[in-house]
Amino acid sequence: MTYGDGEGGSQRRGSQRGSNDFAYALARMAVAQICEGVEISTLQDSHSREGARFSSFQESALERLTDVVIQYIQSVGKTTQFYANMAGRGEGNALDVVQALEDLGAGLGFNGAHDVERCLGDSGVVKDIVRYTGEAEEVPFVYSLPRFPFKKGKRRAPSFSGIGGEMADEHIPVWLPAFPETKSKEVEETNTEKVGEVKSKENGLSLPSMQQSLDVDRLKVQKSMEQEDVQEPGEEPEGNPFLAAPVWVREKDVPRVFCPSEPKNEEDSIGHVPEKQKNIPPLEAHAPPGMINDESRLGGTEDGQKTQRALLRFKIGTRKASMCWTIKQSLEDKETRGRRRWNAKRNSKPLTQM
Amino acid sequence: MNHGQQSGEAKHEDDPALTEFLGSLMDYTPTIPDDLVEHYLAKSGFQCPDVRLIRLVSVATQKFVADVASDALQHCKARPAPVVKEKKQQKDKRLILTMEDLSKALREYGVNVKHPEYFADSPSTGIDPATREE
Repeated sequence: MTYGDGEGGSQRRGSQRGSNDFAYALARMAVAQICEGVEISTLQDSHSREGARFSSFQESALERLTDVVIQYIQSVGKTTQFYANMAGRGEGNALDVVQALEDLGAGLGFNGAHDVERCLGDSGVVKDIVRYTGEAEEVPFVYSLPRFPFKKGKRRAPSFSGIGGEMADEHIPVWLPAFPETKSKEVEETNTEKVGEVKSKENGLSLPSMQQSLDVDRLKVQKSMEQEDVQEPGEEPEGNPFLAAPVWVREKDVPRVFCPSEPKNEEDSIGHVPEKQKNIPPLEAHAPPGMINDESRLGGTEDGQKTQRALLRFKIGTRKASMCWTIKQSLEDKETRGRRRWNAKRNSKPLTQM
Repeated sequence: MNHGQQSGEAKHEDDPALTEFLGSLMDYTPTIPDDLVEHYLAKSGFQCPDVRLIRLVSVATQKFVADVASDALQHCKARPAPVVKEKKQQKDKRLILTMEDLSKALREYGVNVKHPEYFADSPSTGIDPATREE
């Protein structure tokens, strides 16, 4: 709580400044302004009073002084709070501040410091300050500050009433935030883009597709998959989704994917459908992480038609996987070729030996 | 008016200086902005809704800085000019706040900001400054 803290504080300066760059810059400017206004009058031989002022600063000196000033303010705050707590109060008052200033000024001393029973209201520190304000010129801060600290206003989603749409669904109150708009145009893009991106768009699609999944009497797991097959994305607010007609999946031609045999321990983690099992593990090995997360959500579907959709999805990934599979195939081919050669050699040997 | 007497600590016939000062504080704009002082005070645990107290602290800080700066200025002026020539006398008028002057000024306030000397500056580097002749 004494000025000695300034030394310890300077060691933490690096981390302090890192998080308080703005405040530090402001403090630096304020300190520079104050120093600029300091003037000592010298009486010269010619009896003309010359006011000597600082014309410039050494940058490191200004920084040190700013650090000390920040430490000073913090010490005053700490000591004030300390005195307030000592008196059993939660908030400091003016007398606490005066006591704190007296504490910090005890090194240099002030008028009346010797008096044990002095009144804080008439403290020498206060009188010194009063004298200072009377003598010093008033220099307002150079810049006008924005509200400090600056708070970003969060943009809230508008409610149903805010949007103005009439909700036919009686169970949804009007004051709730509205459903986000479904992005049907991006459905076609997802087929060609990386699967990982779909995940980011799912935030906007979760609700409508979740609603649609409730329409149908089947387990719908992947929300992005809904977009590809369902071509009525923006119909949730209209009509009761529970009574809407079920959406039928169209069958698309999906090239048969060669699936090497898989170890059985992956069955539990992924899904119950055998076709899926074959598809997922190699993709897990080679697919980007976004894909893996999507695939993990596929687990749990039991409908056969779902698997067709899964195959649709895997079509995206199979490109990469197929590359790996071709590598695997090539390796296997090499292996078989090697075996054949070896077998041929073996077969040929007895011939030669013979 | 009578709150000093009511508190029983001491008898005052007029308002304590503090009360008057707090009243007049709103007219005086300290150089250090209120928000900045409030931020640093809050950082150390003192949160006060009263602007006058914050201004009191900021004025006290301003006084502190002014005192330190004036001491440093006096040290700077007291130092004899290195080169005394008529052409270079203009330099003497340009006073720069240097680390040396600042450290001397802050020393009196109990703040030690002396930076360690470079190893190869002089043969007497590292010796206790009290025994060393500058």
